[in-house]
Amino acid sequence: MAALEPTGAVPALPLRTRRRRLAALGLLAVTLGLVAFSTLLGSVTVPPQVVYQVVLHQLSGGALFPEQCAGTTVSPRLCGAYVVIVWQIYIPEILLALIVGAALGLSGGALQGIFRNPLADPFLLGISSGGTIGAAIIYVYRYQEANADLLLPLFAFVGSVGTGLLILGIARGRFGSVETLLLTGVAVANFLSAVLSLILLYNPTGSEQVTFWLLGGLGLATWQVDGIACGAVLVLGTLLALHGRELNLIQLGQDVAQSAGVDSRRVRLRVILLASLTTAVAVAFTGIIGFVGLVSPHIVRRIWGTDYRVVLPGAAAVGALFLLAARDANYLLFPGSLLPIGIFTAFAGVPFFLYLLYRQRGASTMGST
Amino acid sequence: MNVPQDPAALRLTGVTVRYGTRPALREVNLAVRPGEFVALAGPNGSGKTTLLRAVLGFLTPVEGEVEVLGRPIRSLSVLERARAVAWVPQGESPRDDVRLFDYVLYGRFPYHGPLDSETADDRAIATRVLDEIGLADRADDGILSLSGGERQRAVLGRALAQTTPILLLDEPTSHLDIGHQLDLLARVRHLTEGGHVTAIAALHDLNLAARFADRIVVLSHGRRVADGPPSDVISEALLAEVWGVVADLRRDPATGAPYLLPHHLVSPPRPGVLLGKGPVHVVGGGGSAGPYLRALSEAGYRVTAGALNLLDSDLETAESLGALTAVEVPFAPIGAEVRERLRVLLEAATAVVVAPFPVGPSNLPNLDEVRGCLGRRPVLLVRRPSGEEWDFVGGRARALEEELRRGGAREVAGITEMLAALAEPRSRASN
Repeated sequence: MAALEPTGAVPALPLRTRRRRLAALGLLAVTLGLVAFSTLLGSVTVPPQVVYQVVLHQLSGGALFPEQCAGTTVSPRLCGAYVVIVWQIYIPEILLALIVGAALGLSGGALQGIFRNPLADPFLLGISSGGTIGAAIIYVYRYQEANADLLLPLFAFVGSVGTGLLILGIARGRFGSVETLLLTGVAVANFLSAVLSLILLYNPTGSEQVTFWLLGGLGLATWQVDGIACGAVLVLGTLLALHGRELNLIQLGQDVAQSAGVDSRRVRLRVILLASLTTAVAVAFTGIIGFVGLVSPHIVRRIWGTDYRVVLPGAAAVGALFLLAARDANYLLFPGSLLPIGIFTAFAGVPFFLYLLYRQRGASTMGST
Repeated sequence: MNVPQDPAALRLTGVTVRYGTRPALREVNLAVRPGEFVALAGPNGSGKTTLLRAVLGFLTPVEGEVEVLGRPIRSLSVLERARAVAWVPQGESPRDDVRLFDYVLYGRFPYHGPLDSETADDRAIATRVLDEIGLADRADDGILSLSGGERQRAVLGRALAQTTPILLLDEPTSHLDIGHQLDLLARVRHLTEGGHVTAIAALHDLNLAARFADRIVVLSHGRRVADGPPSDVISEALLAEVWGVVADLRRDPATGAPYLLPHHLVSPPRPGVLLGKGPVHVVGGGGSAGPYLRALSEAGYRVTAGALNLLDSDLETAESLGALTAVEVPFAPIGAEVRERLRVLLEAATAVVVAPFPVGPSNLPNLDEVRGCLGRRPVLLVRRPSGEEWDFVGGRARALEEELRRGGAREVAGITEMLAALAEPRSRASN
């Protein structure tokens, strides 16, 4: 980068830049460390040596540690169970936490940017209520038992996307007004909540599962789920993250952005669609995990500044770390049981978020207004 | 770029813009030459901002065409527009503490695809722009740490980094102190002097517009009502007509640029105006009637004046107050036709004031006609300063004045006495 600077160009602030790069390296290191640590945590305690041997065996395609429990006292039968637990449950769970955390963080960052509102989160446009209706249909009418694993995610995804499109459709023509769009979202979400209450009132059997769904969880994680989620989030997220420059200009106002070459209305529609789809993918597999999408962009802005070319990938990275940490907190505090993960994102996220808000004089990371 | 040859950098042809059913611009025609600095003037709501927004392509005219560099604005993509027209909006206030250098780099947006990053060229342009706006030493500072004046220059810098041939500014000086106002407009002026940048600025301050712009376009109720070099456009009559303000027009002794001293509204919202006090006719000339006309207008009287010669400053005052007048061509004796009009005005008046004007052969008919009012409406003679010669017709003027006095005209010492006399019941004033 430095080589590109023409002579006479302003030298970058060395201290601030260095501090930010250090923080980025720190984030990477902490994430890798946490991933390694997370493999030790789960519903069953597996000896650490076995965990790492299993992982290395699988990653190397069997070249390393051909005997996965070699050098331990674990019996061959138990070893077989450990292999399944580590490779078929823990690792997919960890990966799903990373993928969904990244999706929610990125989506939250993009929506906060496009609406210029620090309170925007991925569920802004009725995604959660729509997804919940989709899931409730499966739970209540017990389709899940009769059908394949992917039916629940499919219903939830269709519910989410359908609701998002419905809201955009209603607000169409008045798309220039942020308020109209947001209020439409609130109205539709409330309507769907009423529908949900009605369904549960007459079909109490599914209500416990729906409550779990409303707090989110990683229980559906499999390699297949991870593959689908990862592919979708990678494609959608990359497209979304390419809008950093547009979002930077939109912070100056729709009109200013337009005068500088940003097709504001089109960009807004594109970002909302991409962010909603990204969120819908996450919702489909894990339910409604709150707070990750709200808090992650704020953390990024506090540490790395307000450039959306940094905020978007940064929010994805912080979101991934955050959700993985929440999973680990679950197993550390309640060994052996996987509880709704939304409980832990809120427990960890709310105090930290408040600390960030009040640590500096400004009450928001999105400007003084 | 292969641009069709059009001598105009910007051309509006019969542009009409409506907000709902309310027209905001009506059939506006305008052609701006490359390198011109045009000030858009007009009262609030006259269509200045609407015109700028139409040029930016934010608003689509219901009729007419906006062309930029010879191409219709509606045929250009958002990116193409951003390479042709840059905008300094009113009161842009960044919310994030972006580094000034990066903020200026935002202006390079229209030159990049989604995957490009800024090139060395972009950074060189940003550096040059920072130099132009005098903020090179603040490049690393957060934009929120700049003062109001510096921030407005930064906004200009962001627009300049778009390197467009056309620059639009909407009230760029509205939040600035007088020093920063001069500074900013001088910079814009300097940019246009190279001939590569055409600037169109909506400006409320007519004196600043007259001082810096090549040309002033005045809008009123969405129409272009005046257009030309400042010295041709700025007049007391225009101020009265378009802004409803009474002002004195002066000239900057150094530059010759016109400047205005605003006094008060043409029709102050007083009950007297609504009830239609007057009209009071003032006879004068050579500047003698001005103070009486203004005082009467301010006191709520409708006024008329004459007969006066064109170019007489009394005439400009009268017109700026919206007065009906009887007017003769410059330096000519009052002719029969004008005399006839004067008689009409005197007939319509509820009172007549004779200002202390010098009387010569050409304007003697003024005194002559006032005689016809005696006994029919109050006639007030303003007392002349002693020792000053005013009768240039060998005593005939003195004789006429004496006749007026004998016929019941009342002498008043000045403005206060005049107003007091007019306020009295009619019978006593005509004594």
